[in-house]
Amino acid sequence: MADNDPDRRKFLKAATCAVGTGVGLMVAVPVIRLVVDPATRTTVTGPTEPLDLGNVDRFRVGAPPRRVEVIAPMVKDGWTSARDVVLGAAWIRRTEPTKIEALSAVCPHLGCAIGWEGKDFLCPCHDSRFSVTGEKQSGPSERGLDPLPVEVRNGRLQLTWVRYKPGSATREQV
Amino acid sequence: MIRAFLRDRIPLDRNGAMMAGGVSFAHVFGTVLVFLLGIQVVTGIALAAFYSPSATDAWASVAYIQDQASLGWLVRGLHYHGGSALVIVAGIHLLQTAIAGAYKQPREIVWWLGVVLLVLLIAWSITGYWLRWDQAGYWASQVEIGIAAGTPVVGGAIRAVAIGGNEPGNLTLTRAYAMHVVALPVLVTLLTVFHIWLARRHGTTPMRVARNAVPRWPQQTLRDVIAMAIVFAVLLAVVIVTGGADLAAPADPTQAYDARPLWPVRWLFELRVLAGSAEQLVAMAAPAVVGGFLVALPLLDHGMERRPRKRKLWLGALAGLFAMIGALTVASFTRDANDPELAKRQATSEVLATRARKLAVENGVPVTGALDVFKTARFWTARTLFASRCANCHDADSKERKGPVIAPGHGDRAWLLAFLKAPSADQFWGRTKFAKAEAAMKPVELSATDLADLVEMLYAESGAEDLDIKKRDRGLNLFESACTDCHARDEGSPGAAGPSLAGLGSRSYYLSVISNPKSALHMGPANSEMPRFDRELTVVERDALAEYLVWLRTASTQDLIGLGPL
Repeated sequence: MADNDPDRRKFLKAATCAVGTGVGLMVAVPVIRLVVDPATRTTVTGPTEPLDLGNVDRFRVGAPPRRVEVIAPMVKDGWTSARDVVLGAAWIRRTEPTKIEALSAVCPHLGCAIGWEGKDFLCPCHDSRFSVTGEKQSGPSERGLDPLPVEVRNGRLQLTWVRYKPGSATREQV
Repeated sequence: MIRAFLRDRIPLDRNGAMMAGGVSFAHVFGTVLVFLLGIQVVTGIALAAFYSPSATDAWASVAYIQDQASLGWLVRGLHYHGGSALVIVAGIHLLQTAIAGAYKQPREIVWWLGVVLLVLLIAWSITGYWLRWDQAGYWASQVEIGIAAGTPVVGGAIRAVAIGGNEPGNLTLTRAYAMHVVALPVLVTLLTVFHIWLARRHGTTPMRVARNAVPRWPQQTLRDVIAMAIVFAVLLAVVIVTGGADLAAPADPTQAYDARPLWPVRWLFELRVLAGSAEQLVAMAAPAVVGGFLVALPLLDHGMERRPRKRKLWLGALAGLFAMIGALTVASFTRDANDPELAKRQATSEVLATRARKLAVENGVPVTGALDVFKTARFWTARTLFASRCANCHDADSKERKGPVIAPGHGDRAWLLAFLKAPSADQFWGRTKFAKAEAAMKPVELSATDLADLVEMLYAESGAEDLDIKKRDRGLNLFESACTDCHARDEGSPGAAGPSLAGLGSRSYYLSVISNPKSALHMGPANSEMPRFDRELTVVERDALAEYLVWLRTASTQDLIGLGPL
């Protein structure tokens, strides 16, 4: 064997690199595909239908906003399925007997939970303030609080849970 | 320029390793082992990105990898069979080292490190097998921990530490996980690095004497990567042909299972069977003997003689040991393959596994635990309740049946027609006390067309939509003239002498009957032997039964079987 022939050595080196790279890719491709798989699908399901918030008479006309937990009857999270999962909270205000408004308690700035401070809403994380109707008053938030669709069906308040992307002036669903 | 920069700083082939005995395919096994270790690390990281080491979640997350995540089956298969490949190639590497006499002075420590690494590889496989927490992994863990627990004096402590407390559970898995993905990889890596470093310092043992040393790169390296490619091709083929690693039904402490250890320790399993009452002693002694012999080999076979034919005694002993282990392994698999009873039990387990995995894909696994995946099956609650509360009096096969048979087709047109013709037939009221009473319903004597019209009208009460409206309307007239002496069909009003037929066969009707059959709306307090269930079952449970009964009307026996076993 002419082990010292430069052409032969060159070929051997190239062949080694080629076979090695080939085998490496054969391992790497499925592994990377698997690891990024969750990024390509809905791993946590949200509620597909409006959620029941109970009898509409719980909410008095003209009362201050009332915090209500938003609970999904069934959530699939990766490999598990769970019942009665708390998704978040909403602030409900009944301005007239037939008029009910709901605001998401998720701060549109960076997603902290909003609290009611007696006369306005406050996000404790970065001191964004919002009026009772959800308009932005002060602080770093780029937009006002996110309204959530509500309707009354058979005397019960139904809320559609929506999550919006935080940190932008426009509302975009997640 | 970049190449020069890198070459100066990462001087791979500057003073490149030399192969004292020349290059050869005989020297590829160590490198192939490192490659296989690399596959385990890479696939293991990907799997760890999904795996959840908890008793409630472990099986669910493995099933998710296997059946839902893209190429999860492939990566898991590479990891599972790659572990086997590691043990096989390590075994070849060990045998080859022994035949070449490469464990001889001054390379004893390289050999001992190798022996320790082989033991660690097997421990690595075993802990990995537990993590799936399916029937196979769970019961294997029980047996293996049981063997360790039989160690004199410290056995109890070993068991408690291994399972993390008194009973297998979350802590068993977090511990096995810590061992499998942290402790063992770190230990194996460190020892491997030391093993290779020492081996390189000593250089390869020349196969034949007096050969010129040759640089490792690129001639030996090419042989190495070709060997890797061949091993990987075989591994990939095995994974694709087998569909990756298997996965049994979720761990069930109440369900017997034919636990079998992983193949590298299968010979011990067989030895235990053969040993009978001495099994505990054998289980402890046999690995000690094999391990002890391997460790002692460089000391027993001392001297500089490396030619195999001059070392017949020790090589013969080693070959005998391997042959025995091989024979025991083959014997164990053969015995299982020739056991028809075992095959039946395995087929049953297989059905259960398929069912659990299908339900996991469709409905997810309840957070209450992997076994509850069976409860997500359609009508599971209703069928379980039916079996425990209703079947005794209503199942066709029940010897103590007291009421009408409830089976697929219950309440459909054929059923209604048969009932009208003979209400006291055996499958209807025949076995009730009411059938013999004065007030019992008499057969309806009408022409075939009239009966068909009446059936259509009764069938319409269920809310079914596949109606012949004309027939139903004629049936309504017939009902008014022939039936209203006893029955009513207005919502909420009881009949004069019999049950109300309002909503007959609908979900709300069944809910009402199940809740209180003794109600005046139904059979009344005197004529019904059926207990009321409104205090026994929740409204959700009763409603589930009602929904099931509605489904049964249009279901066939095949449909019922299709729901699967409870």
